[in-house]
Amino acid sequence: MGVMDPPLSPPLPPGADQDAILRAVGDEITNRGFVIAKADKLFNWARSGSLWPMTFGLACCSIEMMHSAASRYDMDRYGMLFRPSPRQSDVMIVAGTLTNKMAPALRRVYDQMPEPRWVLSMGSCANGGGYYHYSYAVVRGCDRIVPVDVYVPGCPPTAEALIYGLLQLQKKIRRTATIARS
Amino acid sequence: MNENDLIDEAGIASESPLQIMADHLREIGQGIVLSSGIIHGEIELQVNAGTVAQLLMLVRDDRQAAFTQLIDLTAVDYPERKDRFDVVYQMLSMSNNMRLRVVATVGEGQTVPSVTGVFMAANWAEREVWDMFGIFFSGHPDLRRLLTDYGFEGHPLRKDFPLTGHVEVRYDDTQRRVINEPVHLVQEFRDFDFLSPWEGMHNELGGNAAKADPDKTAK
Amino acid sequence: MAEMQIKPITMNFGPQHPAAHGVLRLVLEMDGEVIERADPHIGLLHRGTEKLIEHKTYLQALPYFDRLDYVSPMNQEHAWALAVEKALGIEVPRRAQYIRVLYCEIGRILNHLLNLTTFAIDVGAMTPLLWGFEEREHLMGFYERACGARLHAAYFRPGGVHQDLPDDLLRDINNWAKKFPDFIQDMETLLSENRIFKQRTVDIGVISEEDALSLGMTGPCLRGSGVAWDLRKNQPYDAYDEMDFDIPIGKTGDCPT
Repeated sequence: MGVMDPPLSPPLPPGADQDAILRAVGDEITNRGFVIAKADKLFNWARSGSLWPMTFGLACCSIEMMHSAASRYDMDRYGMLFRPSPRQSDVMIVAGTLTNKMAPALRRVYDQMPEPRWVLSMGSCANGGGYYHYSYAVVRGCDRIVPVDVYVPGCPPTAEALIYGLLQLQKKIRRTATIARS
Repeated sequence: MNENDLIDEAGIASESPLQIMADHLREIGQGIVLSSGIIHGEIELQVNAGTVAQLLMLVRDDRQAAFTQLIDLTAVDYPERKDRFDVVYQMLSMSNNMRLRVVATVGEGQTVPSVTGVFMAANWAEREVWDMFGIFFSGHPDLRRLLTDYGFEGHPLRKDFPLTGHVEVRYDDTQRRVINEPVHLVQEFRDFDFLSPWEGMHNELGGNAAKADPDKTAK
Repeated sequence: MAEMQIKPITMNFGPQHPAAHGVLRLVLEMDGEVIERADPHIGLLHRGTEKLIEHKTYLQALPYFDRLDYVSPMNQEHAWALAVEKALGIEVPRRAQYIRVLYCEIGRILNHLLNLTTFAIDVGAMTPLLWGFEEREHLMGFYERACGARLHAAYFRPGGVHQDLPDDLLRDINNWAKKFPDFIQDMETLLSENRIFKQRTVDIGVISEEDALSLGMTGPCLRGSGVAWDLRKNQPYDAYDEMDFDIPIGKTGDCPT
C-alpha cells in the first residue's frame, strides 16, 4: 500500500537459514530452559494472527464478506473466525450502507467490543456514503460513528480485496499496536 | 374501435379479453368508477377516494373479475395539481391472468379509507404510503412509520422534500450518543443529465497519439 | 403453593444478530421459549433509492436496482429494463432476450444457493455453505466474464444488454451446468433426509393458500403454499415462452419445501 517499509524483517522461507534459526532456538530451550523475545512482538503476533471479526453485514458487501469466508478465499487460514458476539471479537467489519436508523445500534455494538479493537470499513457506502451519499436516510461514512482503521474501496470490493484489506490491517497492528492501553 | 379490438378473418371486430373485462368492471362499478381505460395492456379505473375500499371488495368478490390479489399500493405526487396525490392500487387476477390498476386522486390532508380489511397485504403498504407521502388512512389498525428513522420529521417522497433531507447523523463524543445535526454537504449534488454521453469530450489527442498521427490532431 | 403467573417478556431481537441476515429488528413477546407476538421494525436499510432515482436518468438509475436484492442482482435490473421498455414501447433484439433469460436463470440459481445454504448454516449444518459458495463463485465468474463485475453487474439495460458475451463463455456455462446436478444430489444427501434438519423445519412457518393470496405473495412463497402461479409461464417476458420447463409447487409453505 506504499505506507512505509515495515521495520520487521520479512519471514524467512524454508531453507538452510530457517533451519539454522530453528536449531538455535531449540538449543536455547534445551540448554537454558527458556527463550527470550520482545513482549511487543509476541503480543502483536498473537493479535494479528488471530483477528476475530464480528459479523456486521448490513447490505450487499456482506455477500462478498461471506464469499471471502467461504471455501475459495478462506479467511480461516489467516486465523480469522467469524464471531457472532461483539464481546468475543477483535475487529468489526462494517459491510454495507449505514442508515440513520441503524447508526445508534452500530455505536452500541462498537462500545460493547473489548479493547484492543479495530474497525474495517468495507465498501464505498461504509467509506463515505457511497452510491447513497446524497440520500436523506444514509450516514455519509461510518467514520462519523466509529473510528476506522482500514478503508477497503469497491462497490462491492471483491472478496480478494477484502482479504487484502484485512492483511493490511494485520500489518497495521504489527506496526502500531503497543501494550499500553489507549 | 380502437387498437385493442381484434379483427378476425371475416373483418368483424370482436372485443379483446381486456375490453370485455373493462366493460364488465364498468358495469359492476356503476356509480363508483369515474372513468376507465386500457393502458399498456392493463385496465385502469379512476375512482373517488372515499369509495376505494368498496370497489376493491367488489372486484375481489365478483366471480367473473376475481381480482384476488393486491400486488402493490403506492402514491404519486403531482405538486402542481390541486389534489396533489394519486393513490394507486395494483391488482392481479390469477384466474383471468389480468392486471388492474385503480387510481384515486387525493388532496393534502384528505383521508382515504383503509383496505386492510379487504386485503392483508395493504397493512404495511399503507404504512409505507403514510410514511413516505403523509396520506392518512382511516380505519387502519396500526398506522405508524415503517421505513424512516424513529424521530424523523417530514415525508420524504413528496416532491418538496429535499433529496438530502434536513438532518444528518454523527456520533458526539461529549454527549456519548448519536445525534442529529442539520445537513452540511461537502460537495453538492451534481446532475449528469447530458443529451449525449460524449458531451464534454474534446477531439484533440494529446501526448503520444498526437505525435504518432499528426493528421488526427485538433482542427 | 400459590400459582405463579408468568408474564410474557418483551425481548428485542436486535438489528445486529447473526441469524437475521442483513438488518431486521424484531420486538418479540415471548412466553418462555415460544414467541407469542412479533413486531418487526424494518427500515434499517432504507437508503432512499426511490428519491435518488427521481434525480437521475433512466440509465443512471439502473445500478440502484442491482443493490435492491443483492443476491440475484441481474434479475432486479431485468425488472427495471422491462418496465422502461413497456412504458416506451421498445423492442428487445432476440439475442439479447436469450442472454437475459440465461443470466436471469443464473441469478435464480445464485439466489437459491444462498438461501438454502445459509438456511442450513442457521439450522446448524456448516458444510452446505462451504460447498454452495464454491458454486456461487463459479457463477459470479460467469457474471464477471459477461460484464466485468462479480456482483453488481449493470448489464441488463433498457433495450437489451450492455455488450455481447465473449467467446467460450457459453461453452463454459454448458460444462458447468452439466456438473451442477451432482452438486444438487450432494445437497439432497446432506439435508433432505437429515433428522436434525427435519426436526427443525417440518411444520414450521406454514402459510395457508388464502393467507398467501390475501397477503399478496408472489414467487416461491406463493408456490410453496400450493398455488400454481409462475410469471414465467403465465405472463411470459423475453424468451420464456420458447422455453420448456416445469415449476415446483409445494404444499406446506416454503419451509422446508
